[in-house]
Amino acid sequence: MSKNKTKKYEGSEHELHVQTLELDELHHDVGMPAMAEALGHMRSTSRRTFLMGAGAAVAGGAALAVGSGAVPTLAAASTRRLSSVKASAFPPSGLTGDLAVAAVAASLENLAVFAYTAGLTAATQGKLGTVPPAVATFATTVKGQHQQHAAAWNAVLQSHGKAPVTVTNPTLTPTVQADFAKVTDIAGLAQLAVTLETIAAQTYQVETSKLKSSAAIQLSSSIQPVEMQHIAILYYVLGMYPGAQTSSGTPLAFNPTSQAV
Amino acid sequence: MTADPRALTELLEESQDLQADALRPTHEALDELVETAHAQREDDAAANQAFHETHTRALTSSLAGTALLGAAGGAILVGALASAAAASSSSDVQILQTAASIENLAVSTYKTALTLPYIGGSSANPVVTKFSQVTMGQHAQHADAFNAAVKSLGGKAQTKPDPAFVPVVKKAVAGLGSATPAQGALGVVALALELENIAAETYVKDTALATKATNKALLASIMGIEAQHVSVLLAVQALLMAGAPQLISLSPGTAAMLPAAAGSVGFPNAFYKTNSAAPAGQGAVK
Repeated sequence: MSKNKTKKYEGSEHELHVQTLELDELHHDVGMPAMAEALGHMRSTSRRTFLMGAGAAVAGGAALAVGSGAVPTLAAASTRRLSSVKASAFPPSGLTGDLAVAAVAASLENLAVFAYTAGLTAATQGKLGTVPPAVATFATTVKGQHQQHAAAWNAVLQSHGKAPVTVTNPTLTPTVQADFAKVTDIAGLAQLAVTLETIAAQTYQVETSKLKSSAAIQLSSSIQPVEMQHIAILYYVLGMYPGAQTSSGTPLAFNPTSQAV
Repeated sequence: MTADPRALTELLEESQDLQADALRPTHEALDELVETAHAQREDDAAANQAFHETHTRALTSSLAGTALLGAAGGAILVGALASAAAASSSSDVQILQTAASIENLAVSTYKTALTLPYIGGSSANPVVTKFSQVTMGQHAQHADAFNAAVKSLGGKAQTKPDPAFVPVVKKAVAGLGSATPAQGALGVVALALELENIAAETYVKDTALATKATNKALLASIMGIEAQHVSVLLAVQALLMAGAPQLISLSPGTAAMLPAAAGSVGFPNAFYKTNSAAPAGQGAVK
């Protein structure tokens, strides 16, 4: 480790900022159109109806019904969203097979969006102590990616005449709310985020071999590695080995699935 | 005070041994593969030939999507691949053999990199050295798992590196000889980054192409690990290019000193792309 060499970063913020802007442009210029194109192609497959409309929704930046920075806490926001949703009644009746998976996936993405929104709000209010600039950038960027994931799954549902899922996952939300209430610093928020990202990644991993539609498999497979990347950077922020690992910190060559929902 | 994960842990019935859990799907997959091996061997030869041709034809576009590895020129490599691939194997066997060939190449690349003083020597960043060692070991495990699946299907283990990329990797490694440590480190990171991304994209793509659920599960258990390698290498590359190698550190307090942009450089896309994926039959055994 470079413990003794560590010093305040000073000179090249601009260079990194430029790199990030380029990556963001690449994402919007290449990644998003590529996703839209891929989804468009799926429309012409034998299971073409599965993801119909997803490309347009993603390319159009379809947003979830999340308050733009107005959500004071995860608990408050989630309570509003889940007031009439019980875990036993989710996914909604009428959704089976791949569509049920889409609903669960959207609810997990919504939960992540709400958690990062709440975390950013708490950070802005000074409730988490000093917030490193990289952590703020991480949370903002990741929140946006989860919004895109949720939009993609909801586009699937809507293309089949189903209502989009705007609630957070009803099974996990109470526990996440309780854990979030205990968060008082950035490390605690990062640990909670690791848990949420791990649940999402492992759920997608399991569903990849269970989904029937090739298009659904492709969508699930295109999201799982991104959640895994979020986890890697979170571990780095926490000063831990930046990859999948056991509870004692031993790196794993194969990602487990014990936390999938 | 930090978040107490115990409630979530109980709720999710987290395994006491995550490594065993991680390997369980692989073992289950292999067991199922053995049971279905006989049926696999009866696969229609014409269908396998068609699969091979279709997925080798995609080579040019695959190479064009890369930088270092795309510079070799598709035409020559397509010819090399045509003779290397096995049209007689089932589609899943070809996918698994290609995956093993990519893993073999990754292992040899990291092994070579660790002989360089600025990667595995005393002048190297300890985090980079540890990452390279761990990652090399993980790729070896991936290759073993893919080959175990191949053999369970009655196929031949792929012990060689991906033939399409070998000449390019050799050329890149040779170019490191005259590089300064700083240039060399960036060169190694760039090469590793491309290999890792090709692996991740190939497995993402192949989860939809594989016919057996067990093979899908195996690919899915590895693709995210490769994506994490990509993420780490992107962060390392950015810090090296920004002249801040001292921030490649897992020491407490490092996060507070990272520039804002470092928080997002590791995951440039919301959806993992597949335009650099290797054709599914590219590394199949002849």
